[in-house]
Amino acid sequence: MSQLELAGITVRFGGVVAVAKLDLRVDAGQLVAMIGPNGAGKTTAFNVITGVCPPTEGSVRFDGERIDGRAAHQVCRRGIARTFQNIRLFRSLSVLENVRAALVGAHRSWRADVLRGAAWYDGEAANGAQARELLERLGLARFAAARADSLPYGEQRRLEIARALATRPRLLLLDEPAAGMNPSEKKALRQLILQLHREFALSIVLIDHDIPFVMNLCERVSVLDHGEKIAEGPPEEVRRDPRVIEAYLGTPDESPAHA
Amino acid sequence: MEQFLQQLLNGIAWGSIYALIALGYTMVYGVLKLINFAHGEVYMVGAMTGYYAAHALGFAVEPSFAGLFVVLVLSMAACAALGATIERVAYRPLRSAPRLASLITAIGISLLLQNGGQLLFGADPKFFPSLVAPREVVRAGGLAVSNIQLFVFGTTMALMVGLQLVVTRTRFGRAMRAVSVDAPAAALMGVPVDRVISGTFMLGSALAAAAGILVGLSNPKIDPLMGLLPGLKAFVAAVLGGIGSIPGAMVGGLLLGVVETLISAYVSSTYRDAIAFVILIAILLYRPTGLFGTGQVEKV
Amino acid sequence: MTRGARTAAVLIAAFLLLVLADQGLPRVLNSYYLTILARIAIAVLAAVSLQLVNGFTGQFSIGHAGFMAVGAYTGAALSVYGSAPLLADLQAWFPASVARALYFPIPLVVGGLAASLAGLLVGIPALRLRGDYLAIATLGFGEIIRIAILNIDAVGGARGFSLTEQAGVDLRYESLGAIGAVVAISVALIARLVYSAGGLAFRAVRDDETAAEAMGIATTRVKVEAFAIASFFAGVAGALFAHAEGYVHTNSFSFVRSFEIMAFVVLGGMGSLTGAAVAAAVLTAAPELLRGLGEWRMVLYSMLIILTMLVRPQGLLGTRELSLGFLSRRLAARPPET
Repeated sequence: MSQLELAGITVRFGGVVAVAKLDLRVDAGQLVAMIGPNGAGKTTAFNVITGVCPPTEGSVRFDGERIDGRAAHQVCRRGIARTFQNIRLFRSLSVLENVRAALVGAHRSWRADVLRGAAWYDGEAANGAQARELLERLGLARFAAARADSLPYGEQRRLEIARALATRPRLLLLDEPAAGMNPSEKKALRQLILQLHREFALSIVLIDHDIPFVMNLCERVSVLDHGEKIAEGPPEEVRRDPRVIEAYLGTPDESPAHA
Repeated sequence: MEQFLQQLLNGIAWGSIYALIALGYTMVYGVLKLINFAHGEVYMVGAMTGYYAAHALGFAVEPSFAGLFVVLVLSMAACAALGATIERVAYRPLRSAPRLASLITAIGISLLLQNGGQLLFGADPKFFPSLVAPREVVRAGGLAVSNIQLFVFGTTMALMVGLQLVVTRTRFGRAMRAVSVDAPAAALMGVPVDRVISGTFMLGSALAAAAGILVGLSNPKIDPLMGLLPGLKAFVAAVLGGIGSIPGAMVGGLLLGVVETLISAYVSSTYRDAIAFVILIAILLYRPTGLFGTGQVEKV
Repeated sequence: MTRGARTAAVLIAAFLLLVLADQGLPRVLNSYYLTILARIAIAVLAAVSLQLVNGFTGQFSIGHAGFMAVGAYTGAALSVYGSAPLLADLQAWFPASVARALYFPIPLVVGGLAASLAGLLVGIPALRLRGDYLAIATLGFGEIIRIAILNIDAVGGARGFSLTEQAGVDLRYESLGAIGAVVAISVALIARLVYSAGGLAFRAVRDDETAAEAMGIATTRVKVEAFAIASFFAGVAGALFAHAEGYVHTNSFSFVRSFEIMAFVVLGGMGSLTGAAVAAAVLTAAPELLRGLGEWRMVLYSMLIILTMLVRPQGLLGTRELSLGFLSRRLAARPPET
């Protein structure tokens, strides 16, 4: 049984079909990518998995349990975390607070916060320590007190990942994590993703439309175009697939095969 | 039966007032996505301006239709200017600020006009001069229709038809609709967005002023706080019809006026003012886009 | 100093301060100024409680006075109709002033709970809405509550409700020390709520609801919680008001009052508890003390709101709190930490 199973997912907004009969399987521990030109429906697929948007048809199963239609915070509690295409940090909170907020997540209790017994103080200390550790592992420790929106762009993306990891997921969805990065930043990010994949025993699904970035990273690539899956397989295979080349409107210079 | 028809007539009379004010709310929301909280106060200023104009020009002493017409036009012009000024001074600088800032500013302007009005005009109520001698015009069975009521209906109809024509047949109307749908695209197409927004405020304010004059004629007691409740209720009417929709504002206003009057007459009059708010809550919870409105989606 | 010792020291100092205020101020100031101080304290509580919803959770509510009304009238009704037996029982065991002091928290808590219930009833449907629509819905609910209370004859209706007359006994409670203590404790509790790891959830919801949901935070529940807790303290403030003044009328709880409280929050800084408190104190005291202002008070309020939005939309303190560290940094003209 796969860890994540999308079966026949279709998403219609009024007259527009964003995703059409999408089937996708991710096994535990896999590192895969979803690619495709802009508007192919990749983020919509993420939104369906994470409960932001209910599918018009089809089902999503995580560890065998149906999660489509569930509220986003419940999907998170079941072990799926994500980052966003347009960075969505808690802007007015500090870097550390962004992570702490996600660490507490579901476990907060207003009674405990107000009454503050001995256990509360221990909990706060543990929360702080765990958050700092996470920041260390993602190289953000020195920014801990800075406001989240004061960080350089690349660090903001890493903070989003740190925050997602704070929710202790088993499946991590990264929506265009390399967007807007220069080549050396992308290289560092690739290393980071591989490291996280190993150290946190995660399954990871990446969205990106940069083929070279996913080439040496993912074991399998699914290609979407206009809401449909048009190809799937190991990266080298996929990038030579004529349908994929056509979808990217490839001229010989621009086609993925020459990346 | 005549009681019912009489109440229905009253309801339509009030409904017309709500509709005229609601049009201003809905048009401004359409182009700016802003609830112009100060709009109810523009209605009040319209009534006050009419009062002072009538006295200054001698029409209070010598009533006539011509005098009424002059007072109406003057008041509409003055409030159009007021509306444009408010937009220019308070809302335009905040166009790129978060929506909350504009909302708070709008509330501030509303308070300013209310309390400034109390300072300027005095808090005591004034009596709007009867610019037309009230006369019973029609009597069918037990039903009485006065010339003032006819004037109210007539003026409201004329103004609404006029607005419909402006919106559908003129370049300005087209520009206004374009800005309502997609302001940046309209700007790219060469629509002078700032001028259109100004014009929208002027149009809406003029209609509110007319409502003020009409109310002055039919319910002569006016005071600086008269805009509060009708303003809120007209807003409810706009939401009921679908905020941003002009036909919606017209229908919403009339509907609210009739429902309010009938419930007040046949069920309970002490809760009269609460009815509008109950309708508001119901609409917001069960059909937030209103009768004629269209929904909007947030992109994740 | 251990945590326990520090807490004990703060409590003792606060207690002494309040006793001093309670016994000392009435000897120094005449009753007019005492009334103003009481009103300031109540305004502070109203503003700080609203700050939880508007500033910290980012939900724009402009019907707060409605919840104050629920608390005020519920507390007052309890005192008028139900306090006699309670007081009689207490007075069998304690001297009169102690008995009254022991009784006093009861209408406050009951008023707060009633207001909190109203907050739940309003919040659960209303908080599904966003931005402008939520604001209008809360305004509408506030008015519905006010009109409903206006129609209840048992609490005076349009004549208002006098605590003293109805019961034949003076049920007023104007002890500045007690009022100050209630407000101080309430503000401290709210501060504890928001300045904790769990309390980060409120601001997370404010900053980005979608992201907060994605991080496992049940945003609807957070919003409703903030609303219910804020309403509780609004109810307490209302009940304090009722007992300090000895008389309530729905006119004190119209949407103009809601706007005033909103003004305290906006001008003090949406996101600063101390900012809201300072703004509430200054804006409540100033017009009372500057006699000639009269009708100009609201005109100045409104101009202040408009100017603040145009020039300094983050308000006086923005999202920062007034603390000793903040003050010393300002005084030393050092740049603030990020």
